[in-house]
Amino acid sequence: MPQQPLNRICYVEDDEDIRRVVRMSLERIGKMTVEVVADSTRAVEAMVAFKPDLVMLDWMMPVMDGPAVFRKMREQTETMHIPVVFITAKASQTELDELRNMGAAGVISKPFSPKALPDQLRSIWHSLP
Amino acid sequence: MTPIDSATNPHKASAGISLADSADPRRVLADRVEQIYSQMPIGIAGSFVISVVAAIELRQGRFVEIVIFWAGLVVLLTAATLGLYWSYRRSTTKASEAAQWLRWLAISALATGATWGFAAAVFFPSHADEQQVFLAFLLAGVVAGGVPMYAVSWPVYALYAAGIIFPFTYVLATFGNKLFAEIALLIPAFYALNVAIAYRLNQVFDSGYRLRHAYGKLTEDYTALNQRVEQQLDELLQAQREVEASGRKLALFAERSPIAVLQMDHNATILELNPAAENLFGYAAVELVGRNAIRTLFSSANPVLGGAAWQSFIETAKPLSLPPAGCVRRDGIEVSCEFTLTPLVNEDGDLLSVIAQVRDVTQVLEADRLKKEFTSTLSHELRTPLTSIIGSLQLVNSGVMGEMDKDIVELTEVAERNAQRLLDLINDILDIEKIESGKFVLFPEDIELDTLVRESLLLNRSFADRFKVRLEASGGLPGLEVKADRKRLLQVLTNLLSNAAKFSNEGGAVEVFMSVTDAMVRVDIADRGTGIPENFRDRIFGRFAQADSALTRQKGGTGLGLAICKRLIEAMNGRIGFEDREGGGTLFYFEMPVAKAFAQADK
Repeated sequence: MPQQPLNRICYVEDDEDIRRVVRMSLERIGKMTVEVVADSTRAVEAMVAFKPDLVMLDWMMPVMDGPAVFRKMREQTETMHIPVVFITAKASQTELDELRNMGAAGVISKPFSPKALPDQLRSIWHSLP
Repeated sequence: MTPIDSATNPHKASAGISLADSADPRRVLADRVEQIYSQMPIGIAGSFVISVVAAIELRQGRFVEIVIFWAGLVVLLTAATLGLYWSYRRSTTKASEAAQWLRWLAISALATGATWGFAAAVFFPSHADEQQVFLAFLLAGVVAGGVPMYAVSWPVYALYAAGIIFPFTYVLATFGNKLFAEIALLIPAFYALNVAIAYRLNQVFDSGYRLRHAYGKLTEDYTALNQRVEQQLDELLQAQREVEASGRKLALFAERSPIAVLQMDHNATILELNPAAENLFGYAAVELVGRNAIRTLFSSANPVLGGAAWQSFIETAKPLSLPPAGCVRRDGIEVSCEFTLTPLVNEDGDLLSVIAQVRDVTQVLEADRLKKEFTSTLSHELRTPLTSIIGSLQLVNSGVMGEMDKDIVELTEVAERNAQRLLDLINDILDIEKIESGKFVLFPEDIELDTLVRESLLLNRSFADRFKVRLEASGGLPGLEVKADRKRLLQVLTNLLSNAAKFSNEGGAVEVFMSVTDAMVRVDIADRGTGIPENFRDRIFGRFAQADSALTRQKGGTGLGLAICKRLIEAMNGRIGFEDREGGGTLFYFEMPVAKAFAQADK
């Protein structure tokens, strides 16, 4: 269980509106520092620069989807150990299992409640080994 | 008698059996008796004419009374034998009592012979030589004439001739003339000779009749055999026609079948195929016959019917349905095919050939994939904008953005509520779609029902609060477990609880009861609402079923909830239903099999 409280979040999401809602939720309700990335191909660079405690990845994105970003993160030393939470609108149980098998720290399904989102992330953060 | 080979007579087992011996002796006897009687009229007439001639010729020089007496005897005898003949003709027991008729005939023959014997004894001692010669000639004539008459049964003849000969011999021997005495010594030899001839003739007749009967029997046997052979031949022909007809029918089935049919031998070498198979694989029949089906039709990477799998199929000789397998057409195009293999075995269990039915499922699989992709895309594309809408409205309504005008809050709340409704609808439609397309997977686990019900009450409390309705549970079943998908059972409970809350009066309560009987546990969710309208009851579990659309707008809901509940409960081997509640209101219930009862749980 991590010692420090959850503070720095990096969110990779192609949909501008959802980016805004999530940023507002985490900043206003969760009092966290948030970096949102729209272009998934440049996500890993942004993470290296921002040094987040936890990364949230959208599943379906053009050019490079969430799992691809995840794999790329695992290839780089700086991002290798950052916990990843997937945000997905895909409801199928097999796909959720697939995400967990890839080593995701958690899965939050869309649509999520912005009111509850900070607490959901903190609970995942605290349950990390 | 001709011994015949037993092979010509199937009813005789051993070789060397005489054909004549197979005749029925009773029928042979009857025939012989018939033969003798049939000759009687000639015998009677002949005997009578000779008697008349003799009476006229012998009447001189004698007492007329004796001649008249003898003539009387002849007439009586003639009448008696005619009577016998007449009785025999009229008789219905000719065959069954042949032996008796023969005895009667023997008596008549003896009487006839004795009458001539009497004539010899009385008329011979005459002193007129010419009359003695005449009488001797007559007697020799009647003795010889009796042979053809009676020889069919030699004892009858023997009696007849004895009746004539012995009195005459006696008279000759005692006459006192040396020549006559010498003749008397010769007469028994003459008698013996005649009887021997009669005996011989008797045998000839006998064997003749026996042969006739044996032949008759043989003919009957042969006819019966012939009929049987013909009948069997008919049956065979009929069977052959039936086999041909069913063969044609099968051929027609295969010929016109839209499903590809191939016949292969035990090495998977193609023997025959129908036009559908030609179409499916793009080969002409002549190109495929003689080639190995597995190497020719399956794509090389396909392990479905590899050597070992085929071998084990051939050994077990059990019908086999294969999952869709990749095949390559003659033009190189890959298709997915479902193979059904049926071994044809004979009565001894030997494999004759293998029938393969092949269905091209390429398009089915593709349609399936597209549908799945479409559902997945739809799910994503609809949820993404809703995430933004609901998220934004929630943030606004949560108050973190600061105080807002009351009217604005009211409107944003309407917007949030309806966005949520839209999301529920999408979720429900996706659920129904998944359940009905069979793509729905349950993850059953042992769940303590009591805990789950209390959890559902907690989750739905805030919803019920909106309608100012209390949720109450009673009759808990601690420790009792059911096998169910946790998320899905919670979905059912939520649906039933929110329905009950929606249709309860303000200030009322929704009550949850749990009970267990035998192997089933039952959960009741009861309200004190207005009840279910009569005309709505039979379609309450249907899709988009709502009693009152005005109420829907007022209280929300998609009209899919109960349809989903029913399918979910049934998928978990349960049963769902509703009944009117005593004292007003409605009671929805579902029953599920108990996975673990109290006793086991207590340990």
